[in-house]
Amino acid sequence: MAYTELTVWTRGIIMDKEGRDIVNSIAASARNEGKFAQAMENYVDNPDRTNCPTRKYCRVSDSEIENALTYENENPNIVVLVEQTMVKGWDYMRGMPPGGTLVINTQYTPDYMLRFVPKPERLAQLVCVDAAKLADHKWLYYRLGELGLDRLSTEGAAERSKAVAPDIAAPLIAAVVKTTGIVKMETIEPMIANKAAFKAALSELHIMPLNPVTA
Amino acid sequence: MSTKGTHIPEWLKVPFAGITPAPTQKGQDLFPTGNWRSIRPVYRDKMPPCNNACGTNEKIQGYLDLVKRGKYLDAYALIKEDMPFPSVTGRVCYHPCEQACNRGTYDEAISIRAVERFLGDLGQALPKDVVKPGKPNGKKVVVVGSGPAGHSAAYQLARLGYAVTILEKSPKAGGLNRGGIPDWVLPQDVLDREIERLVELGITIKTNTEVGKDVSWDELRKSYDAVILAVGLINPNSIRAEGEDKSGVHYGLPFLRDIGMGTSNVKLGPRVAVVGGGNTAIDCAREAYRQGAQEVTMITVEGTTSEMPCVPEDLHDMVEEGVELKHGLACTAVLGNGQVEALQLHPAKFSGAINASPITINKDAKPERFAVDNVIIAVGQHGALKWLPDEFKNDKGGIKADRFGRLGTTNVFAAGDVVQVGQGQPLMVVNAVGDGKRTAFNVDKVLRGEPLQERMVAIDVITDLARMNMTYFPKFPRVQQLMLAPASRRKTQDEVIQAFSEEQAIEEANRCFSCGTCNACDNCYLVCPEPCIIRYDRSNGLYKILVDYCKGCRVCIEECPTGCLEGVPELDFDTGVVRMDTAFAITQGLHGRQAEELRNLPDRPAKDIG
Repeated sequence: MAYTELTVWTRGIIMDKEGRDIVNSIAASARNEGKFAQAMENYVDNPDRTNCPTRKYCRVSDSEIENALTYENENPNIVVLVEQTMVKGWDYMRGMPPGGTLVINTQYTPDYMLRFVPKPERLAQLVCVDAAKLADHKWLYYRLGELGLDRLSTEGAAERSKAVAPDIAAPLIAAVVKTTGIVKMETIEPMIANKAAFKAALSELHIMPLNPVTA
Repeated sequence: MSTKGTHIPEWLKVPFAGITPAPTQKGQDLFPTGNWRSIRPVYRDKMPPCNNACGTNEKIQGYLDLVKRGKYLDAYALIKEDMPFPSVTGRVCYHPCEQACNRGTYDEAISIRAVERFLGDLGQALPKDVVKPGKPNGKKVVVVGSGPAGHSAAYQLARLGYAVTILEKSPKAGGLNRGGIPDWVLPQDVLDREIERLVELGITIKTNTEVGKDVSWDELRKSYDAVILAVGLINPNSIRAEGEDKSGVHYGLPFLRDIGMGTSNVKLGPRVAVVGGGNTAIDCAREAYRQGAQEVTMITVEGTTSEMPCVPEDLHDMVEEGVELKHGLACTAVLGNGQVEALQLHPAKFSGAINASPITINKDAKPERFAVDNVIIAVGQHGALKWLPDEFKNDKGGIKADRFGRLGTTNVFAAGDVVQVGQGQPLMVVNAVGDGKRTAFNVDKVLRGEPLQERMVAIDVITDLARMNMTYFPKFPRVQQLMLAPASRRKTQDEVIQAFSEEQAIEEANRCFSCGTCNACDNCYLVCPEPCIIRYDRSNGLYKILVDYCKGCRVCIEECPTGCLEGVPELDFDTGVVRMDTAFAITQGLHGRQAEELRNLPDRPAKDIG
C-alpha cells in the first residue's frame, strides 16, 4: 500500500496515552523503514475531556505526504477503537475507502460487534482483540458495571512511565500490524514495552473477513 | 514539505466542537454527550427480601411506601391483591417477612405485621370494601373448608368472576383462623367482619356441611366445574404414650377449637402440662392460664428453647406470662386411675435433625414422675380424609397433589396445610393463604383451557446491603407495639398486642429501605451533574434517563439509596442505537445542519494516490 491513513479513536484523558502510543510507534517504525510518516493528535478535539471521544492520526506513505498540513484523516484506511462502546456512537469510519480495516478492543466476537458497525460494506476485515485482558490491564474496563470509571483511568500514564505501549496499546498495535502490514513486525516490536501482550495478541486475534477489494 | 494537492474539504472548514452556541440555541442540542458513555444507568427493580419471604408474596415494600405517604387506602388495596384478610394476618402471622427484612441485619427489622394490622383495621372500618367481584363467567367452583387457604382461594376466584360456594363443617366459618387461634390474639369480631367481606363478594358459605357426610365426593365433582379441597389438618397427632385415653388428657387443636367455637366444656385443674414445643403448644399453654390453670409447664423433646420450632417472640411472651419449660423429655406414659394424676417422663432427643427425625427415648434412664391435673398434647396434626379416594392420599396424612395443587388430571385441586404437610415448609396461615391464591389462579387457568405455569422464582432478591447506599439510612429503633402487662393478661381474653396509631405506622413505614425498588426519593434527579434525569411527577418508576446526554458518569448509580439503579454495559443494548453523524452532534443545532449539508454533497470517489 503506497499511502495509508490510520485513525485511532480513543476516550479523552483516561485512554489518551493508548491512542497516542499506537500512532506514534507506527509512524516511528515506518520512518525507520525509510517511509514518509506523520503522527498527530486531533487539533479540534482539544482540550479533551474525560471519556470524550478523541482522535489520533497516523499517515504512512512511500512518497512524500501531500496533505501533510491537513489536520484530519479524510479517508482512513484503518480505524482503531481503543474503547469498545464507541462502536455504537457515530460514523467513525467516515470517508473510508473500500477495503478498510476496523480494529476494536473488545471481549466480544466480531459476530456480535458487526451489528453496531455503520456501513460495514466498506470493510475488508473486522478485527476484535481483547487487549485489556491480554495486557492484564489492572482495571479491566470491560468490568465497567462493577468498577468506578475513575479506576480504569490511565490518566497520567506518561508521567508514570515513558515506555511506549506498556499496557493495552500493545495488543492493539499487534492487531493493526499483523492484519494490515502497515509496517514490518520486526521494526515495531523493539519499541513496544509490553512484549508479552504484543506477542500473545498475534495468536489471539478474532479476524472476520468481509468485503475484499476487487481490483 | 510540499503542500501540492493539499485539499481541505468543505466539511473541515468549520471546526467540529469547541464553539460557543449562539444565544438563541440550546447548548444541549449542540453537544449531546451520550456517546461518551460506556455504561448506561438503568432502573431495574429487584425483589425485596420481605416480598420474597412472604408466603403469599404481599407487595410489602409497596404498601409501606404508600403508608409513608399517607395513602392508606391505596396501601390497603395493594395488600388486598394477595391477602384477603390483612386484619387477621396483621395479628396472627409469624411474619417470615420480618425475619428476612434487610433492616434486621442493620438495626432492627421493620414491624411489618403491625403496619399490616393498621391497614387491615382501616379496611375493616370501611363501609364498603375496595375489592369488587369479577364479571360473572357462569362457572361454579366449590371450596371445601373456610380456613386461610379456602378463604384465600374463594376470594381470588370471586374476583375472577366465578360463582363460589364454601362448604364448612363447623357451625361458624373461619376454620383454623377461628378454631386454632385464641381470642386474645385474634378477636372473633375481626374474623367475622372478614367473613362478611367474603359474603359481600357474592360467595355462598354453607356451614354445618361436611364432605363425606352431608355431601358425597361424587356429588361434589358432579355439581361444580371445579373443586378446591382446603380441608386442613384437623386430627391431632398422638404421642403414643400408655394411658393417653385417660380423662383429663386434651389435644391442642381441639382444645383451642372448642374454645374458639364456644362449645368448650373443659375445666382445667391447677397444674397443667403441655406436651410439645411448637406454636400451637405455646398458644395452648397461654390459653391454659386463661382457662383457670395456676401452674403451666411445657414439656419439649428439644434440648433448648432455641431449637423449638416456634416464633421467638411468642415464646418470650409465654415465659413472661409464667409458663415453665422442661427440655429434653418425652412423655412415655400418662399415669393415674382413670383421671390423669401424673406424667412419666424419660430423657429423649431427636435421632437426627431437630424436628425432622424420629425421637430416641432413653428408656434405661430413671423416669421422672411429674404430677399434673391436666395434660394438653400439641404435637402436630394430620388430615381427616376418610371420604377421599385412596389414590389421592399421601403417607403424611395429607392429599397427594402435583406442584400446581391439582389431583391427577381431574378438576379437583387441593390447597393449604393438607398439601403442604411434610413438604418441609412451616405450616402457617400466610403460607396457606399463598397456596390458596396460587391454586385459585391454577383453577382459573384449567377452566379457561390455558396451560398451567410454574411458580415464578424470584431471580434477584436483594439481600446484600452493599448493593444499597447505606449512608442514606440512619440507624433508627423499631417502633414497639404496646402490650398488656403479663400479670393482667393471664386472666383475660383481651388482645395482648395493641395496634399501631397512625403516627406509629408512618414512623415505622418510614424506616423501610425500599430494598432494590425505586421509591421516588428524587436522589438520582438531584445528583445528576447534567440534566440527564427527568421526571414529570415525583412518583415511582417515572424517572427517565436522557441517553443522548448521559455520559455514564455513574454518580446516580453510586448514589441510589435503594440499589435499583444499575450500570449496564452500553454494548449489552444491541438495539436502539442512536447513531450520530459526527462524534459531537446528532442532527440538531449547528452540527446537525452541517451534517445535513454533508449528506447533500455528491459522493466523491476514494482518493487515488498512486
